[in-house]
Amino acid sequence: MDHLMTGFMDVLNPGTILWVAAGVTLGYILGAIPGLGKATGVAVAIPLTFYLTPVAALGMLIGIAKGSAAGSAVSAILLNTPGEPSSAPTALDGYPLARQGKAQKALKMGLFASVIGDFVSTLILILLAAPLARYALLIGPVELCAILLFSLTFIGGLSGGSLTKGLIAAALGVFFATIGLETETFIPRLTFGLLELEDGISLVPMAIGMLAVAEMINQAGNMKALDRETSAISDSAAHEDRVITRVEWRRSLPVIARGTLIGSVIGILPGLGASVASFLSYGATKNASKTPEKYGTGMIEGVAAAESADNAVVPSSLVPLFALGIPGSVIAALLISAFVLHGLTPGPLMFQQQPRLVAAVYASMILASFIMLIIGYTCQRLFAQIIKVPLRLIIPGVLFLCCVGAYMETGSIFSIYVMLFFALIGFFSRKLDFSFVTFLIGFVIGPNLEFTFRQSIQLLGSDITNLKHHPISIVFIVLTLATAWWTGRSNSRKAVVK
Amino acid sequence: MRRANIVSGIMLALFGLVMLFAVIPWQIETAPPGFVSPRLVPNITMVVVVVLALLLVIANWRAPVNGDDAENASPIARVELMALLRIGAIFALSIALFRWVSSLAAGASLMVVTLLTLGERRPLPLVAIPAAILLATWFLFYKVIGTEIL
Repeated sequence: MDHLMTGFMDVLNPGTILWVAAGVTLGYILGAIPGLGKATGVAVAIPLTFYLTPVAALGMLIGIAKGSAAGSAVSAILLNTPGEPSSAPTALDGYPLARQGKAQKALKMGLFASVIGDFVSTLILILLAAPLARYALLIGPVELCAILLFSLTFIGGLSGGSLTKGLIAAALGVFFATIGLETETFIPRLTFGLLELEDGISLVPMAIGMLAVAEMINQAGNMKALDRETSAISDSAAHEDRVITRVEWRRSLPVIARGTLIGSVIGILPGLGASVASFLSYGATKNASKTPEKYGTGMIEGVAAAESADNAVVPSSLVPLFALGIPGSVIAALLISAFVLHGLTPGPLMFQQQPRLVAAVYASMILASFIMLIIGYTCQRLFAQIIKVPLRLIIPGVLFLCCVGAYMETGSIFSIYVMLFFALIGFFSRKLDFSFVTFLIGFVIGPNLEFTFRQSIQLLGSDITNLKHHPISIVFIVLTLATAWWTGRSNSRKAVVK
Repeated sequence: MRRANIVSGIMLALFGLVMLFAVIPWQIETAPPGFVSPRLVPNITMVVVVVLALLLVIANWRAPVNGDDAENASPIARVELMALLRIGAIFALSIALFRWVSSLAAGASLMVVTLLTLGERRPLPLVAIPAAILLATWFLFYKVIGTEIL
């Protein structure tokens, strides 16, 4: 608690508040525009934070992630086009509400549910991460290697439609992470004589290419359909559209509580992601309702259920990152590079080595929740106008910012080449349904996986029977095999058909 | 998607085999005695890729054929492929301008040519959007943050 108070003192200064607010605003706008989103926003913004103080930089990035999770409801409600896939269930009732002239009501409920879900989930992160990290410190390299392998299999099985494709993406991610000087022998690996590759491939240009540039190319190919929907928006000025009544609040609060719980639990489990949480919460709310047939026709509880779960995922997905150093989502994977860049290595040791900075991150997360409420409430009409801007006017600016972001990482045009190479991979992985999320997470945990694997070989004396002295690792190896079997069985049909 | 899965599976299997038998032995030296080979993890990942890619090919090859057009349809529409080629060409132009003219010309051309390619013909957005973004970037880095990025 003392550290948290110190964290608030570090955060509550005009400079940091301004950057967190800038992050939330930028995130809200990116989230509201279909096709952009939190991953794109965070990837492009990481280089912009190079010159900020660690607290301001991390606060801004967290603000972008939180703001875009909330902002994606705007286009889901007004356009029936979710800013991110996780807001698809929001559109099921939000869009019918908008068509009934109740857009402002739906937008407000989306915002309030988002803020409550996000805030409670942040508290869960604060309460859970440090105690879990204490247990994580007892884990050795053999156990950690097994846990990382399990996480990668779990994410690979659940991130896309096919376990086979998910695992291929994960293996390719780990493979690309091996490029550069090998850490024990300093032998260059797959550098082709290029000095720029000796330090390995940098995550920032890779992520910008795979997430942002590839998505912009994708949007450029589907621009006409999106622009048609954008031009069809019409505003309603009726007074009743702008308020949530007391009765609606009474009906929605238990729904928000359930959505927050579902989102927080799903967020903690690596690989499931916000889409699973929001659909699960929407489904649970519909099943629990006395009038399930009304869902999909404009029920305010539908918006509350989806948005509370969607936003609860962002903070709780940082629990495995903070406690174990394992990124459970693409945002967590991107935040690792930002954390390391600003002197905070995610994992159990950070609570001992950098308690003040961790507390400041927590404080900035809570601050971002409140700023999200203020900005979302006061600028709702403005954000609703922004999504009317045609995509053809947005794409060129985003591509330019991608180049600036990638270039800033090394100050060399080589980063632009890296960005373009991975943009190509990202484009084809989207189209062929190979999970780029699993690829990126494989790339991020690759060095740690290899390091602990090498240590395990030495500790076990290259004899697999010595695993009997490491029961935790046996549990996770069995879990890995069970996950592979279970997910492989459940989506084997999809692998063939998709 | 069935046909796309078979093609992508074959391509990935070939990629893995080329890596295993040509690129990894050529690009990664063997380790001194007593060290774990630096080729170990790259080799393992490529073996995984080859095995899974072959599984993907076999599973789709053996799947019952419905005679559905969607089975053999390309997952990439022609318009998307054209967008990829166009944006690729725009980047090539901008990189050339960056190397041989100036960064300002590269940035401006990236935005103006993309706007033109995406169908924008009005003079005001064609001038105002690149100018505003370049000015805002300059102001953010050189004035607010106080650092030279070029």
